[in-house]
Amino acid sequence: MKNKPKVYALSTCPYCKRTKRFLDEHKIVYDCVDVDLLDDAKQDDVLEEIEKLTGKRSFPVVVIGSDIIVGHDEEKLRKALKI
Amino acid sequence: MIVAKAERIYCPVCQARFKFLEGWKAGDAVICPICGQTLRLESGSEGWVGTRPEKGTEHEIRERIDQYAKLKGYVFNEMREELVQGLLGKNRRFGDFYCPCRMEHVPEYQCPCKPTRGGDVERNGKCYCGLFWRKP
Repeated sequence: MKNKPKVYALSTCPYCKRTKRFLDEHKIVYDCVDVDLLDDAKQDDVLEEIEKLTGKRSFPVVVIGSDIIVGHDEEKLRKALKI
Repeated sequence: MIVAKAERIYCPVCQARFKFLEGWKAGDAVICPICGQTLRLESGSEGWVGTRPEKGTEHEIRERIDQYAKLKGYVFNEMREELVQGLLGKNRRFGDFYCPCRMEHVPEYQCPCKPTRGGDVERNGKCYCGLFWRKP
């Protein structure tokens, strides 16, 4: 894969945890941001990024190439990762 | 004898005022009929207020969600425990039991959040985080 998948998550959200666990279990290397743990300035930038990508502030968000998956959805993850 | 100055009690969790029932007195523990929080009744200069006797404890949030579900006839599913852990994480990091799946830490997102209290479970079958569910 050219670009590593990127996960936007909240540290307290169990669905975000499941998405990360799913990627880990499938040995997918990805970048991850726990948005709630960022400092204020950085958080604003990242939230803007997420809103541009998805039109809302819902978590988790997984970016895999041109696929953007909002919420924990193993079927969509498999499809986008071709696994 | 203690006489109620106002006939409503302010709940610091859902920020609503609920009806004072006959026979209640200062020091009594009552359940907020709107959010399920256990409150200790106190009489203040502005009338009756409820305080949170176990503020910020695990027991407080577990009891609150159980009491809220019972009041509304909602049920939980297998995500319950993980969501409770999320609520505890919110309290540790952000000072109170805010929705674990939301970014914002504002009073209206104190669990059970305002959209939930406003009927989200009836409308969508579940609350935003999927903690409370409509009975199947």
